Amino acid sequence: MEFIDIVLSISDGVLFGTTYALIGIGFTMIFGVMHKINLAYAATSIGGAYVSWAISTLVPLPAILVFLISAIAAGVIGWLVYLCCFRLVPLDTPLTTLLATVGMLIFIDEVVVHETDGMPQPYPAIFDDVFFEFGEFGLRGDLLFIFVLSFAAMLVLLYLLYRTRLGIATRAVAQQPMAAQLCGISIERTNASTFVITGMLGGLAGAMIGASVGVLSPLLTLPVTVKGLIVTVIGGLGSIPGAIIAGLMVGAFENLFLALRGVTERDMYVMLLLFLFLTFRPGGLFHRSALRD
Amino acid sequence: MLELKVLSKHFGGVRAVDDLSLAVEKGQIFGLIGPNGSGKSTTVNLICGVFPVTSGRVLLDGKDITRAQPHQTLAAGIARTFQNIRLFGQLTVWQNLWVAQNGLEDRQRENFLRRWMSGNRRARESVEELLEFSGLADKRDALARNLAFGEQRRLELARALSAKPKLLLLDEPAAGMNLEEVGALDDRLRKIQDRGVTILLVEHVMDLVMGVTDRIAVLNFGKKIAEGTPAEIQDDPAVQEAYLGGAGGRRAAAAG
Amino acid sequence: MDFLLGLTQLIGVHTILGLSAYVVLLTGQVTIAQAGFFGIGAYIAAMLTTLAGWHIVPAMLVGASVAGVVACIVGFPALRVKGLMLVVATTAFGEFVRLFWFNFDYQIAKGEIMVGPEGGEGFKQIRYFPENGWTTGDVALFIWVILIAIMLALWWMDRSRAGAVLRAVGEDELAAQSVGINLTATKVTAFAVGGFIAGIGGGIYAHYTTHIEHANFSVLLATFAIAYPILGGLTNVTGTLFAVVFIQGILVEGLRFMGDWRNLLFGALIVVAMNVRPRGLIDERVVMIVGRAFSTRKGRADA
Repeated sequence: MEFIDIVLSISDGVLFGTTYALIGIGFTMIFGVMHKINLAYAATSIGGAYVSWAISTLVPLPAILVFLISAIAAGVIGWLVYLCCFRLVPLDTPLTTLLATVGMLIFIDEVVVHETDGMPQPYPAIFDDVFFEFGEFGLRGDLLFIFVLSFAAMLVLLYLLYRTRLGIATRAVAQQPMAAQLCGISIERTNASTFVITGMLGGLAGAMIGASVGVLSPLLTLPVTVKGLIVTVIGGLGSIPGAIIAGLMVGAFENLFLALRGVTERDMYVMLLLFLFLTFRPGGLFHRSALRD
Repeated sequence: MLELKVLSKHFGGVRAVDDLSLAVEKGQIFGLIGPNGSGKSTTVNLICGVFPVTSGRVLLDGKDITRAQPHQTLAAGIARTFQNIRLFGQLTVWQNLWVAQNGLEDRQRENFLRRWMSGNRRARESVEELLEFSGLADKRDALARNLAFGEQRRLELARALSAKPKLLLLDEPAAGMNLEEVGALDDRLRKIQDRGVTILLVEHVMDLVMGVTDRIAVLNFGKKIAEGTPAEIQDDPAVQEAYLGGAGGRRAAAAG
Repeated sequence: MDFLLGLTQLIGVHTILGLSAYVVLLTGQVTIAQAGFFGIGAYIAAMLTTLAGWHIVPAMLVGASVAGVVACIVGFPALRVKGLMLVVATTAFGEFVRLFWFNFDYQIAKGEIMVGPEGGEGFKQIRYFPENGWTTGDVALFIWVILIAIMLALWWMDRSRAGAVLRAVGEDELAAQSVGINLTATKVTAFAVGGFIAGIGGGIYAHYTTHIEHANFSVLLATFAIAYPILGGLTNVTGTLFAVVFIQGILVEGLRFMGDWRNLLFGALIVVAMNVRPRGLIDERVVMIVGRAFSTRKGRADA
C-alpha cells in the first residue's frame, strides 16, 4: 500500500468521522443534562433518516431538503423517546430507563424492518460526482459536503448552548438541577428540548451516514450505537469538544484499518485496546467537560 | 489512641486540612468543631482512608494506618457515620446491621466461608443486641429507606458499632435533630463511652459538644486554632473570633 | 411437542445467561460482557467434547471455569470504571471475545470430515447429544436440572450474608467499605461467579444447537442478558425466570401468529413494562404480598 493511499483513507475517515462526532455529542449532551444513557439515540438518528427516505419516495425532493426532513423527523422521534422512556419512569433507578431505551431501540428498528422488509434502501447524496484533486491528493465531494454540513450543525449547537436562553437553561440544569429549578427553569421542558435538539443532530448524522454509504439499512443501528458510545467515552463524558475530536479520530482509525486489513484481526486488537484505554484512563482524553465545568 | 501527625490534604490549591496534629486519648469523647468548610469532614475522611493524604501520618495505637483503605481502617478498629446518612436503603434494618458484622474478633475466629455465607450465631446475637440498644427492635424487617429520619440516624450509629470498634468517628450525628433527640443522643454517646469506645465527635450543635465531650479541638481553614476542655474553649478569645465571628457571636452560636 | 421442548431448552439456557448477569447487577455494575463469557464456555466445552472426546459434564465445568477466570481478570481493571464507562468497556471486551472466535481456526480430521471451530464459518457438527443417544426430552431435562441447581444456589446465596453484602455494595460503595466490606474482593467475586454461570450456559447452548458461530455472541445477546434480570426485578432469582418466560415464551413465541408485527410489539412491550413496573416484574411489593399469602396459609395450617 502506498503512503498516499494511507493519507487518503485517513482524510476520508476524518471527513466521515464528523457524523460519529454528531452522534457522540448527542449521547454526551443527554448524559450531561439527565445523567442517563439513551441507548435508543442511534436508532432515533437512523429512524429520522428513514422517515425522510419514505417521504422522498412519495414526493421527489432535492437531497438537501431530504436531509432537513431527516433532522426534523429525528427531533420528533427524540421527543417521543423522552416521553416513552424518561418522562413517566422514576429517574432514581438508572437500570429502568436503560432497559426502556433498549426496548425503544428494538421498536424503532423493527418499525423500519416492517416497513422496508429489512431490505437496504437507496439514499440520495450531494456532490457525489465531484472530486477535488490536489496533485496526488484528493477529496471526495460528498464527504467534504458532509464535513461542512456537520460542522455547521455543531456551530449552530454551540451558539444555542452558549448564546441563547434555552442553552443557558440547559447548562444550568446540567450543572445544578435543584438550583436551576429554584430559578424558575422547568427541568422537564429542558430535558425534553435536549432530546429534541440532540434528536435533530442525530437525524442529520443519520442522513449523512445514509448519503455517504449510499443506502440505509436497519443493520446500521447497532454499530452506530456502539461507535457513538465509544466516541462519547473516549471524548470524556459530558464533553462536547471531546466528542468532536474523538468522533474524527474514530472515523480516521476505522477507515484506515478498513483500508489496511478489512474486518479481521485488527478489529479484535482495537477492541482490546479500547478496553484497556477505558480502564486505565476512565476520564477520557479530555477530563474537563463543557457542560459540567 | 488516635494520633494525627502534621496531617495535610490539598485539593488543587485549596488546603482543606493543613498541618493538623491531634492526639485522642483512650476512652475520651473528643470534639472536633469549626465553622463550615474548616476541614472537619475532610479530617474524618482522611482518618478512614476515603481520600489519600497529601502529607503527614495517621496512627492508631501507634500503628501507621495512613495508607489503609476504608475497609482496612475498619478492620484496624475505626468505624464511622456519615454527615448525610448513608444507609443501604433497599436492605432491611436487620440486614444493614448484619452486613456490618466485620469485627476483628469475628475475622479471627470464624473461617472465611462461614462468615460470608451464613454469618455465625454470635453475629446474629450481636445484631439483636444492637437492635435493642438503638430501640429499633420492632423495625427489624422494615427497609432502611422507609425509616423516619431520627431512626435512620440511630441505625447508622448502630451499624457503625457492629464491628465493635475501638474508635468511633461521628460526622455531625445531631444534624437535623430536635432538642429531645439531641438529649437522647447525648445519653447514647455516654453509654457507648461506658463500653470503652473512644469517640471523635464532629459537630455543629454546641449544646451537645459542650455537654458531652472531654476535650475539644477547633479548626479554622484547615488549621487547629485551639484545643482544650470545653470550658477553656468557650473562654478562648481566638475561638470566639474565628468561630463565632466576633461581635455577632452570641447570635450565631444560638443559631447553631 | 418438539416445539415445546425446544422452547423449554431455550428458556432454560437464556435464564442461566440472565442469572449470570443478575449476580453482577446486584453489585450495581452494568456489564455487557456476559455474551463473551457465554461464548468462551460454549467454544471450550464444545471443543472438549467434539475434538477431545470428553464427557459433557467435565467439559462444561472446564469451559465455565475458564470463563470464570477470564471474568475475574476482566473484573480487576473494570473496578476502576463505573456507569457508562463500564458499559462501554465491557462492550469492548465482549466484542473482543467475539472477534477472537471470528479469527479462531482449529480443525482436526474426524473420519471423513473436518471438525472444529473454523473462523467466520463457525463451529459446526457439535454432535455430542445425537452421538450419545440423548433425546430432546433428555436434553431439556438436563438443562432444567442444571438451571434449578443454579437457581437454588443463587437463592441460598441471596438469603445468606453474601447476598446482603453484594446488595450493600450495589447500594452505596463508600458506606459498604466503611462497614468493612472489601470492595475489590466483592466485585471481582461477583464478576467471576457471573462469568462461571455464563460459561455453563454457553456450554449447554453449544451442544443443543450443534452449531455455533461468533455472531451468536454479539452485543445483542449481552443486552438480553442484562435485560432479563432488570425486567424481572432484582429482588430475587425467580424474577429473571419470569422475565425470560415473558420475553422468549410470550413475546417471541406466543406472538408468532402476528407475523412480523411481533418484533415490533416486542420492543414496545418492553417500554410499556418499564413504565408500568419500573422496578421489574417481581418487585418488593410482589415479594411481600406473596410472602404474606404463604405465611397466612401456614398460620391457618398451624391453627
